Amino acid sequence: MRRRWIKQTGVVGLMSLTACYSGLGDSLGENAGGDAGLDDGDDDGDDGDDGNEGGEDPAQLCSDSDIGATSLRRLTASQYKHTIGDLLGLDGDYAAGFAADERAGAFKSNGSASVGELQVEQYLDAAESVALDATADLDTLLSCDGALGDPCAEDFLADFAQRAFRRPLTPVEFAGVVAVYRTGKDASEGSVQDGLRVAISAVLQSPYFLYHVEFGVPGEADSRVALDGYELASRLSYFLWDSMPDGALFEAVATGSLEDVEGISAEVERMLASPKAKETVASFHEQWLGVDELETSEKNAELFPEYDVALAASMRADVAAFANWVISEQDGRLETLLTANVTLSEDPQLLALYGVELPPGHVSGTPIELPAGERAGLLTMAGVMAKHAHPDATSPILRGVMLRQDILCTQLPPPPPEVDNVPPSPDPNATTREQFAQHTADPACAGCHQLIDPLGFAMESYDAIGAFRTTENGKPIDNSGEVIGADISGTFNGGVELSALLTDSASVQQCVSRQWFRYALGRIESPDDACAIEGIHEAFEAADFDVRVLLRAIVLSSAFRFRKGAV
Amino acid sequence: MTTRSTYRSTATPKRKNQGFSRRAFLGSIGASAALAPFIPMLESQADEGVGPKRLVLLFSPNGTLHERWAPTGTADDFQLGEILAPLEDYKDQMIVLDGLEVIRQGLGDGHQKGMACLWTGNQLNAGDFGGGNGGSAGWAGAASIDQAIADAIGGETAYRSLEFGVQNGGPTNWSRMIYGGSDSPIAAENSPEAMFDRLFADLGVDTTALDQLKAERRSVLDLVHNDLAALEAKYSSSDKAKISAHLEAIRAIERRNDLATPTCESPEQDYEFNFDANENFPAVSRLMIDQMVMSLACDLTRVASLQWSRSVSQTEFNWVGAGRHHDLSHLGDEDGEMISQVTAINRWYSEEVKYLLDAMAAVPEGDGTMLDNSIVVWGNELSRGNSHGNRPVPFVTFGGGCGALQTGRHLTFDNEPHNRMLVALAQAMDVDMQTFGNNDPGSGGLAGLFS
Repeated sequence: MRRRWIKQTGVVGLMSLTACYSGLGDSLGENAGGDAGLDDGDDDGDDGDDGNEGGEDPAQLCSDSDIGATSLRRLTASQYKHTIGDLLGLDGDYAAGFAADERAGAFKSNGSASVGELQVEQYLDAAESVALDATADLDTLLSCDGALGDPCAEDFLADFAQRAFRRPLTPVEFAGVVAVYRTGKDASEGSVQDGLRVAISAVLQSPYFLYHVEFGVPGEADSRVALDGYELASRLSYFLWDSMPDGALFEAVATGSLEDVEGISAEVERMLASPKAKETVASFHEQWLGVDELETSEKNAELFPEYDVALAASMRADVAAFANWVISEQDGRLETLLTANVTLSEDPQLLALYGVELPPGHVSGTPIELPAGERAGLLTMAGVMAKHAHPDATSPILRGVMLRQDILCTQLPPPPPEVDNVPPSPDPNATTREQFAQHTADPACAGCHQLIDPLGFAMESYDAIGAFRTTENGKPIDNSGEVIGADISGTFNGGVELSALLTDSASVQQCVSRQWFRYALGRIESPDDACAIEGIHEAFEAADFDVRVLLRAIVLSSAFRFRKGAV
Repeated sequence: MTTRSTYRSTATPKRKNQGFSRRAFLGSIGASAALAPFIPMLESQADEGVGPKRLVLLFSPNGTLHERWAPTGTADDFQLGEILAPLEDYKDQMIVLDGLEVIRQGLGDGHQKGMACLWTGNQLNAGDFGGGNGGSAGWAGAASIDQAIADAIGGETAYRSLEFGVQNGGPTNWSRMIYGGSDSPIAAENSPEAMFDRLFADLGVDTTALDQLKAERRSVLDLVHNDLAALEAKYSSSDKAKISAHLEAIRAIERRNDLATPTCESPEQDYEFNFDANENFPAVSRLMIDQMVMSLACDLTRVASLQWSRSVSQTEFNWVGAGRHHDLSHLGDEDGEMISQVTAINRWYSEEVKYLLDAMAAVPEGDGTMLDNSIVVWGNELSRGNSHGNRPVPFVTFGGGCGALQTGRHLTFDNEPHNRMLVALAQAMDVDMQTFGNNDPGSGGLAGLFS
């Protein structure tokens, strides 16, 4: 690898900021995510090297490197919902009552904690309901030439169980499923329908359905074990579709075409072209930018009477639709994600907030231009601004922290424990910026807040529900900002100029690589992932930061195709 | 501090299991449940003279104001402060524990450690939650005391323990206090409707249909059990604990499935509201308390907990004229508005505790009431919000635990590790224990609690 490789790139510039840096050092030293940053400071003219020239296998480039450990994860609620949909054609949200998913960083992954009785009972309840609905009309579930009897039911179960487990069953496992079918049937006077219902319920409560079980190919070295074809197919489909593999992917496993780079790449292209990929693009951006829980954010009804759950849902959908438009219909580039001045929303309420109307003759799915100079892509979208704000006021600090931590991947220490970190109450005679400027004048706070606040101040043009504004309490908005302690520096005005600056930041580009890596693997990167992440990022950079190339590079990496050690 | 206006709930009017409910499921397979109003009953135990002994843990967040919380007077003759005043009727059933320290070591910020150490007395593992202090903290490293006690006595009842919660928030170490073991946070049920379904939907269902359902579940659980056991045998890494915990839960459900359905009547409740909306915090609290008392009265469990909100709680207490709890709790002591609003919030929690005690005291058992046979412990993750302190953390117990505790007292300690209170609770619950949690290597239970 030609790239120079240093630790903590994102924070080198902070070394002079003593108060904040000492905290950062501590924090990063122990943090798994800290060591995997990439230096992109060199300019050695290797643009065009996508890490995969001549069909070279990116995983081979890291063949003597470790990879980070992926722990056993359960399906997330949305993976459960989508998988039930693909398995049985049921579109109910059977996971709606599940305990909330655990996250790794910003992303839901269910990899850190064990389940308790409550969650296992929730699985039982959901499985019974799915099984009941699936068997309500047997004609839509299975087709039996001739009589509905055991052979036909067992044929169905054979197919169903291996799709549910995402792999072929052993004879002993299948005999277990059939035994449940027989018991269920016998308990209700020979009803095939009841037998199938009980068997489906059992399969859906098996750990092979509920967990991403990965053993790898037996016999390989302990440090690095290749996933088998079915395990890789599941990683692919849950990454790119947020759901189980389809028939074509299972077929690719069976024919061995997932065993080489060309075969995997072909599947990635096919899968990204599918409408199901929209689920992943939506989930990633919603979780990354925090808008996945926007509907639970409450706003002051007197100040923002137009804000309600429907508008919040539109804001969230706005982020998802915009990201999907860029990635599947435009050039897919990071720059477009951070600069395009359009919305895909058709909600009149949200369009009104943006200061536009649905144009006459509007074709659904086409972008609507937003007022010039007001917005620039993801970071200035109404939902993102509304999420990172208080119920009654903006929060330059919440927004600045979001930009630092989620967009620049800078780990910030928490405020000292004794500090009074209550936001000032809204003051009718001052702008939010004036109040916060006073609030952070304290030298004890300035070490970190000079990194945070000037970024947040640039977003003061967006109020607490994300509407553009030029005045606050009768005073003009000052949206001037400054970025220091990063690989970009300088002053600027407003979110549009800031987004343009961030687009060119190597830290931001690397952060996007890392965030997608976390989403794909369901875990925070570790120092052991350095080689894989380096290769992934080179491919992303060589493609002028086309996210589609990034996703393919992640799939082809050693971290994605192998697991660390034995189970 | 201005009084904030009412925030409109923007969540859906009613959040529930949109895909299904257990009651709908039972109805659709031909079983029908007859719901009856809540009638406290446990006649068999009542006849025996002494009811079973129960443990109930309570949590409210963000610290208290010690000067308004602590009683004045002597150990046996004391006057309650403003915050505990609503509990005046239960002075002879309480022990106020003033001066306990929740020892915090290792990773995590004050709220994280306060929350995870509260009932575990143990350090946190490393993990991905951030939190500073030289590293990023994860989940607690060991089981909480209620679960250790449930290990000993939980086999007597359908549920070894039950966890009730009011707006606890998502799964992080700031929001979980009950642990089955290392890296095993136990989420409390936050939906009163889902909790009702879990506890009571099967009750009163006609026996033929229920017998069929149980037979089906036995066969299903058998398959799941076998798959988990096969997987458990293959794993040797840290992931093995996840499989083992899942298998443990399946065993508990299998055992429950084989028990006779309790004779118990279910409370009839109205769930037509969003249990996550701030404005419904008081209503959810009452529904959860009702269900908890009913589950104890019916002997569905003997170990229960109720968690109000979470550490760093931002519940907005506009129903007592107060603002967002965590924001308020951070303000300086010179701020009179902070003092009065934080007092009002903590008094409100005292009112909720009183509602619980009233309900427990209304269940006759033997010569006394269920409260006489129970030990209720109320704790907090901090001593005080604006200091994030760990001493003295406010603890109060209620009920005598079948005569185990000498109640009606106000005990003061000189920063005694609260681990010793946890040990004493186990001893009072007849569990043989001398130490608990790695934050205090000391020995024995807290002195002076026992009769």
